[in-house]
Amino acid sequence: MRRLLLGAIIPVSSLVAWETSSRTGLLTLESLSRPSDIVVAGYVALRDGSLLLATLQTCETALFGLAIATVIGIAVGTILGLVPTAERVAGPTVEALRPIPAIAFMPLALMMFGFGVGLEASVVAYACVWPILIVTIAAVRAIEGRLIEVAAVLELPLWKRMTKIVLPAAFERINIGLRVSAAISLVVAVTVEIVLNPRGLGYNLILAEQSLQIGLMWALLVWLCLLGYVLNLVLSHVGRGPTAIWRPL
Amino acid sequence: MQALRKNPVAVRPVGADRPALSISNLSVRFGARTILESINLSARKGEFVCIVGSSGSGKTTLLRVLAGLVRADEGKVLFEGTEISGPSRDRAIIFQDYSKALLPWRTVRGNVALSLEARNVPAAEQEAIIAELVARMGLSHAKDQFPNQLSGGMQQRVQIARCLAQDPKLLLMDEPFGALDAMTRQTLQDEILQLVADKHIATVFITHDLEEAIYLGDRVVVLGGSPASAVESMEIDLPRPRNQLTTREDSRFLAYRHRLFEFLVHERSPLAPQRKGQD
Amino acid sequence: MRRLFDPIKLAALGFALLLLAAWQLLADAHLISPIFFPSPLRAFAVLQQRVADGSLWLPLAATSLRMTVGWLLASVIGIALGAAIGSSRLARNLLDPTLEFIRPLPASAVIPVAILFLGLSNKMSIAVIAFGAIWPVLLASVHGFSSVPLELTNVSQVLGFGRWDFLRKIAFPSALPDIVAGLRVSLAIALILTVVTEMQSSLPGLGWDIFSAQRFYRSADLYAGLIMLALLGFAANHLILLLEWRVLRWRDLRT
Repeated sequence: MRRLLLGAIIPVSSLVAWETSSRTGLLTLESLSRPSDIVVAGYVALRDGSLLLATLQTCETALFGLAIATVIGIAVGTILGLVPTAERVAGPTVEALRPIPAIAFMPLALMMFGFGVGLEASVVAYACVWPILIVTIAAVRAIEGRLIEVAAVLELPLWKRMTKIVLPAAFERINIGLRVSAAISLVVAVTVEIVLNPRGLGYNLILAEQSLQIGLMWALLVWLCLLGYVLNLVLSHVGRGPTAIWRPL
Repeated sequence: MQALRKNPVAVRPVGADRPALSISNLSVRFGARTILESINLSARKGEFVCIVGSSGSGKTTLLRVLAGLVRADEGKVLFEGTEISGPSRDRAIIFQDYSKALLPWRTVRGNVALSLEARNVPAAEQEAIIAELVARMGLSHAKDQFPNQLSGGMQQRVQIARCLAQDPKLLLMDEPFGALDAMTRQTLQDEILQLVADKHIATVFITHDLEEAIYLGDRVVVLGGSPASAVESMEIDLPRPRNQLTTREDSRFLAYRHRLFEFLVHERSPLAPQRKGQD
Repeated sequence: MRRLFDPIKLAALGFALLLLAAWQLLADAHLISPIFFPSPLRAFAVLQQRVADGSLWLPLAATSLRMTVGWLLASVIGIALGAAIGSSRLARNLLDPTLEFIRPLPASAVIPVAILFLGLSNKMSIAVIAFGAIWPVLLASVHGFSSVPLELTNVSQVLGFGRWDFLRKIAFPSALPDIVAGLRVSLAIALILTVVTEMQSSLPGLGWDIFSAQRFYRSADLYAGLIMLALLGFAANHLILLLEWRVLRWRDLRT
């Protein structure tokens, strides 16, 4: 309880100071509209559905990009994890590509896909593929050698070997990479929208700033905070769920 | 040697019979749990007191009270006439886990220097004191090495050197040799005896090893019960300097060991009758 | 013994060259549109020409400077805040909830706010970079400062160190491995946000070069910019690794 009160001091006092100083005319900065205006702007955006539409657009693109990254990351990661030589041969190329900020590929993606989902999802996918790829390589490599031998003794065909032995055994660790990438996907999606892509929350945010709807801009910012917070919460709790299924194995 | 002679410690007179350390009615609680209950204990100047007890008997808590790291809930702890109310450079503490108690980013020299920095010893004088202490602990060849590069025994020597560098009047040791192999342990036992004898530093030494306690101590105190209190105090009347072979073969040594062992087994037995103090 | 010509290393180099060669062949054969995929030779030619006429250095310097200043700002604030939160329960209770709420916010989302306050300026860019880059170093510092071994805290108490001496001589060095790891992640994020702000606000630099290359469909320039960015990221990362090796030398030593 005491902790809760202490934690509330900074946000509450700054909100109160902000509201009162702009009401009494102490603060005339346009850029800081009042907290009460922000609540109103947020409510209006929620009522007319524009906020939810933007959220949906951003989330679906982020998910789409994440899905592409997951498929590529797990497929390539499994191969590189199972064949150490391949990993050592391709490793340096991976290391050279990885540090390039995904955002730098945005102009290229724009040339290839034009504005829209393809542009955004491809950049998201590029950003999200690395954590999944790297964790998958490590996870597959960490699988007990005996499990692989079991698969060989059972003479399972490659596909069954993957789906019945390799992936389930590595799933728990791959899941960690997935969680990291899920958080990245939202960040990158919003960034692409702010810089370039005319859709979703990021675009609404920059549009609100440019059209000087300051209250709406702050409302969107708070909304993004909430969205990120909820995503983190979901990822740190729900993300562990499916792994429990594999444990008995 | 020369550098140390300048220190007040080395020339302090020995042997006044007034207790240097006195604990009366000490109780310590962590929340609702009582760890120590009315402990009474005293130590003469320069006396080597060993405290034994099974694990979880509150030995470490008692030591931390003496170091001033844990506050007494009841009772009084006096050291040289003044009440202990917090940590002080006068009371050095040597932890069992040397790997955590040394600064891994400083060399042996740097670790010893830490105490000198705390005492505000001018930089120009530090080197001589460090050289002396490091030589004394047999670390001269390792002066510029990092703790990571040293064996466990060597690391514990560094910790002892650092504690000596703070020029303490009381040395508190918490199972310092518990994690070392038998040979290293015996060597360090003899070295620490030689050290405290030379410098007349009162020592409180915690161990769960009965033989170690008898071998080192002027007195062995048994902590027992739950919550713990000092249940037995035994003067050890064995000639000094002690010797790893002859002392341990002395019939009195075996008799002490026998008595302490009986006592601890009895103490631990669930069928043991309640002590008078707890009725 | 490490051999100079490790077959695996040669194979790795060969693999990268093979990819480039395949790309070159496809471009030469006009199997892929030269608008999207100029041949690598053309990209390198552009790079070479820009090195020769000196037009590369200004944007490279601008981007490096922006990234470094923003990162330094984030590092100083992050370490200071981390020290406060990691070593004082009061500071933790005061700040934690607010920071936890702001942290998940995509850093680029503060761009509009920063533009409102600071305009389309370098200051705006640096503020955004610092905001985004602060989190890894802050979290790492909090962890580092709050996991100083109890023994070391006790040693400091027994030796009578004050708060400042404790932080300087015990807590900071003890937290340093964590801090350096955080600094490395922060620098990577700083580079990303440098590029983002340059693109968003038309600030001169590598990010803007890439962006404008796209506008005029000069894809060879675009790839040249990407290559430079990769090199910059690689160099920055290795500078920190070098720093780590220097500062944390004690950690890797073993008998």
